[in-house]
Amino acid sequence: MRAEVGLAATGDLVERLAGHQVIVCCGSGGVGKTTVSAALGVAIAAARDTPVLVLTIDPARRLATALGLGSIGTRPVTIPPARLRRAGVAPRGELAAAMLDAKSEWDRLVERHARSPQVRDRILANRFYQGISTAFAGSQEYVALEAVYDLHASGRYGCIVVDTPPSRSALDFLEAPDRLTDFVSARLLAWLAGPSRIGLRAMGFAATPFLRMADRLLGGEVLEELGAFVRDVEGLYEGVRPRAAAMYDLLRSPKTAFTIVTTLDPQPFAEAEFFCAKLREYSIPLRAVVVNRVLPDSLLEPGAVAAATTLAGDPGVAAWMSAELDEPVPPPVPRRLGQAFLALHALAARQVAQVGRLGGLGRVPVVRLPLADREISDLESLGQLARWLLDGVG
Amino acid sequence: MADLGRYGARGDVIESLLARRILFVTGKGGTGKTTIAAALALVAAASGRRVLCVDVDAKGDLARAFGAQPMGFEPRLVQTGVSALALLPEESLQEYLRIFFKLPRFARLTPLVRVLDFVAIGVPGTREMLTIGKIAYEERRREGERPAWDVIVVDGAATGHMLPQLQAARSMMDLTRGGMIHSQTEWVDRTLTDPQRTLLAICALPEEMPVVEAIELHDRARAEAHVAVGVCFLNATFPVPVTASDTAVLERLAAAHAPAAAARLGGDVRPVLEGAAIARRLHDDDRRQAGRLRARLGIPVLEVPRQFGTRPGLETTRAVAAALMTSPA
Repeated sequence: MRAEVGLAATGDLVERLAGHQVIVCCGSGGVGKTTVSAALGVAIAAARDTPVLVLTIDPARRLATALGLGSIGTRPVTIPPARLRRAGVAPRGELAAAMLDAKSEWDRLVERHARSPQVRDRILANRFYQGISTAFAGSQEYVALEAVYDLHASGRYGCIVVDTPPSRSALDFLEAPDRLTDFVSARLLAWLAGPSRIGLRAMGFAATPFLRMADRLLGGEVLEELGAFVRDVEGLYEGVRPRAAAMYDLLRSPKTAFTIVTTLDPQPFAEAEFFCAKLREYSIPLRAVVVNRVLPDSLLEPGAVAAATTLAGDPGVAAWMSAELDEPVPPPVPRRLGQAFLALHALAARQVAQVGRLGGLGRVPVVRLPLADREISDLESLGQLARWLLDGVG
Repeated sequence: MADLGRYGARGDVIESLLARRILFVTGKGGTGKTTIAAALALVAAASGRRVLCVDVDAKGDLARAFGAQPMGFEPRLVQTGVSALALLPEESLQEYLRIFFKLPRFARLTPLVRVLDFVAIGVPGTREMLTIGKIAYEERRREGERPAWDVIVVDGAATGHMLPQLQAARSMMDLTRGGMIHSQTEWVDRTLTDPQRTLLAICALPEEMPVVEAIELHDRARAEAHVAVGVCFLNATFPVPVTASDTAVLERLAAAHAPAAAARLGGDVRPVLEGAAIARRLHDDDRRQAGRLRARLGIPVLEVPRQFGTRPGLETTRAVAAALMTSPA
């Protein structure tokens, strides 16, 4: 793991990223993305004299508690500087955290863009609305963007670190504006929202096989009701479209830095590669890669492998240890120690095999964070991760 | 779930799962649910069952887990005794219309797929119903005198999408009061909510979030979808239980006897000590999370050791299948 890719000093990463106003952390689920995002926020608050906000999507409860996020609602909560200092981080700027609440963000979107209070109330009360606002692919990503856009536009924070939703490819996050405009502008909707489908029938459209089939499948009542709903929702489009375009511009601009968080396990790593390709497709530059939970190089040392092999398999080793230490050492003890090392060695060797592929992600700073000695679930361990980001490891 | 004794031997638990007609395997992304679903299918086939394995999100992971080419909508033999299929949206729809409504296959269904796609956005459960509809169809299909499949193992949606899928039939019954879909949903709902026929298996990792999600899904599956949860797989546990006293022995050796140890063991023991510390951390996480799951869920929690040194794909699937049949020491 000695082969360095990109910058060696992790502090450079924080310096580089701190220049951007929005930092989007992407990556597969289970790589510690939420934790790394939070640590990055802590590190930037320590490095720069600017208010920093960490916008997280679905933090583990203990991490949420550590950040002071008790209740739901996308309202930022400032972390008391004294708490940060106790956790070993001296903040120069303010650090706040917020947790995205997709449902209330959708309600806000409706309130903002509805043509009239009557339309707004009709939408919010519609029985399809719940389904639309939660089930539709990319909806969480879209409102996350809305929230980022608003928070950025408010000028309240110099830097916003965004933990993206744990969607498999994080692709939805990029396509979210397209999807929504696509959704609202679909010709299909125009069809459903037509003055009246009874009118359509009169014009002979009833003969079309799929209109007939849709009726048979779902029952006319449902389609009529959906049609009325769509007419109301359509009005949102006028407001949503320019906002979506502006959000997309913000994502593509140099104000925003995309960062990939991954581990060296084959599956998340493959997703990181896939995501890189997608960013290139969208002409969005990747600014940094954070490799989380890297095992130490010492696990690869040939001498240690030899020692572990002896411990695991040499039938006389327990007796020798007993004599050497002058205490009884039961045979399972050296066996467990040796086997544990060899298992970790196999993992570390597999990680090294992936390191060679890091360069393929792009010519960007790559930072490796070691596997922490315990699960990151409080401000203290988060502070340790932030110090690693700032000062480098070990 | 009285027949799935909490302290029963591992083989009995697996056997009891595979005695069901449909087994949904779910879990947070990255918990290895595809590998576990594929491994369960191999175990079922090894006991002489005819198994169908279904890939719900059709991203090709299940095919890779069997070392097979990408799968289609029609079942295809991928391993001895195991057939597999992938649910593709357009084909699911074609098939659904053909099976349930005796409609001829359309050359191009894209416009209708788009209509239904939209409807699926507005009517929760439409898309899920197509998924569940196909699974339920395969469950009922017979070859001669006997069912076509002894057991169907579904590599299900990730946790967040699993409940809508399981509740699809009920949602559809509530929403589509007049349509033809309505009349098809009742028996699907009956199959899914019968614990003798359908069980859910939840996968977790020994980490905070996957465990929290597993517990939430367990509670909601019972309360909201009325689907019984049969087992929780705690995947990727560390296979060697290193204790604090083990580490202490090695510490004493490294501190006062380093040269002798290096000579006798053939190398430096200090990295082994470092490894022991990491192993302990991982083992402690395993114990804590397994304890939480066992205390909180009234179902068997089976630990599946992390696979070292096996290549992703069939090799790993086989190793996991072997681990499923072997009780830990």
